[in-house]
Amino acid sequence: MLELRHVTKIYQTSSGPNVVLRDVSLTLPARESIGVVGKNGAGKSTLLRIVSHAEAPTAGEVIHHGRVSWPIGFAGGFNGSLTGEENCRFVARIYQQDIEYVIEQTREFADIGRYFYEPIRTYSSGMRARVAFGLSMAIDFDLYLVDEVTAVGDKTFRKKCRDAFAARRERAGLLMVSHDVATLAEYCKRCLVLHDGGATLYDSLEEATEAYEAREAA
Amino acid sequence: MAAAAEPAPHSSLPGLGDRRLVSRVATFRKGLASQTEVVIALVLRETRTRFGRNRLGYLWALIEPIVITFTFYGVLVLAGRGHPPAGMSLFAFIATGVLPYTLFSNTIMRVADAINSNKALLYYPQVRPIELVISRAALEAATFIAVFVLMMSAEALISQRLELEDPLLVIGGLLAASALGTGLGLVFCALGQVSTLADRVRGPLMRPLFWISGIFFTVGSLPDNAREAVLWNPMMHVTELVRAGWFPGHDANYFDLGYVLWWIGGLTLVGLILERWVRRRIDLT
Repeated sequence: MLELRHVTKIYQTSSGPNVVLRDVSLTLPARESIGVVGKNGAGKSTLLRIVSHAEAPTAGEVIHHGRVSWPIGFAGGFNGSLTGEENCRFVARIYQQDIEYVIEQTREFADIGRYFYEPIRTYSSGMRARVAFGLSMAIDFDLYLVDEVTAVGDKTFRKKCRDAFAARRERAGLLMVSHDVATLAEYCKRCLVLHDGGATLYDSLEEATEAYEAREAA
Repeated sequence: MAAAAEPAPHSSLPGLGDRRLVSRVATFRKGLASQTEVVIALVLRETRTRFGRNRLGYLWALIEPIVITFTFYGVLVLAGRGHPPAGMSLFAFIATGVLPYTLFSNTIMRVADAINSNKALLYYPQVRPIELVISRAALEAATFIAVFVLMMSAEALISQRLELEDPLLVIGGLLAASALGTGLGLVFCALGQVSTLADRVRGPLMRPLFWISGIFFTVGSLPDNAREAVLWNPMMHVTELVRAGWFPGHDANYFDLGYVLWWIGGLTLVGLILERWVRRRIDLT
């Protein structure tokens, strides 16, 4: 279970404070896949960073039981001058996992051939996504936080992601940010809509997109 | 929620308090072990990114301080100013001054930049600013201690003379230089998160210290009033400490270890408080 209590996040910018989340209180059940939608800047990525404890909220608290992944996405986490393998080694080490197992699993999942042993800065965004998603699947989390990565790549890769996650559905939950409704539909039933600093949970994706689009239009 | 899970304080179960204490100690030890693991992973990663994946790459880390020492040595010899205090070889005199100071200033530089150059790693919740700081400081200290041992052994071999009064004082001095650098670096690192001014004032603030930390002189060789003035500087004490440990004949009356420890404690405390204060303001984007 994931609980947000009166979470507020304010960024100081040169043009004054920017309130991204305003007093958000939410309870999300364990082992459920929930989509997150909202305009650019609505706080989707911020929400994931706060839930993962990578960033502290300005006020309020986040409570969860179990292991939460880092926000799996394009930004952050990887060092461009290290190879895919070396990045996996680092992550396996800080999560105290069997290093060789994690490397092997990720290499197999990512399926990018010799690029796995090249610096990450030479990767295309699709290759980065493959390594990022594969690496997170090699470690057992109770809640996976996914930021856009599954929306890229070819059909085979997207199916691979879906299958890998389906195998964990019994044990793990998912909080998935995407602009792509089709991707969300593949993973999630319920959906969180972020707007003007607030967050509303809808029971179906249709309701959520309707509400989201109505706001867009308004 | 967590509070509700706690057993009532007046529980009648015997020995429950002990068990709770034991489990707390266990949690603490587990936390410490995983923190150590994170620091080790960061150090290994840092060596990779800084020196390349070639095993010989680490040699570059050793070369920088060696070059600095030889440069100062060469300049002093060429300038005809190579007159170290009686009983010291010029090379050892320079090395015992330059190496602790460079360790101090490099640590400040690396630690002050620890968050800004590693923001991507803060995505992993177990990597916090403090682990970034510790890993960078540890790598710098290990490198300089290795360089120190290497250079001084080479010097002893070449001159066929090993003068070493108290190795503990030497190591203690190097560790004190590292700790002072870590504390001050932490202060700059935290301030750097709220203002770019911190980075800009660092250089001008640090430069004068280079000249008053005893790299080119000993406290004993100064007139009284100058002596008092330079002894405000904790790095001056550190240089004296290292030299007192290295040279048997060196007058050891001028350093005050307690004074250095107060500085280390004070800077670390201020740095940690500032870090807590800015923690919520670190911008990952």
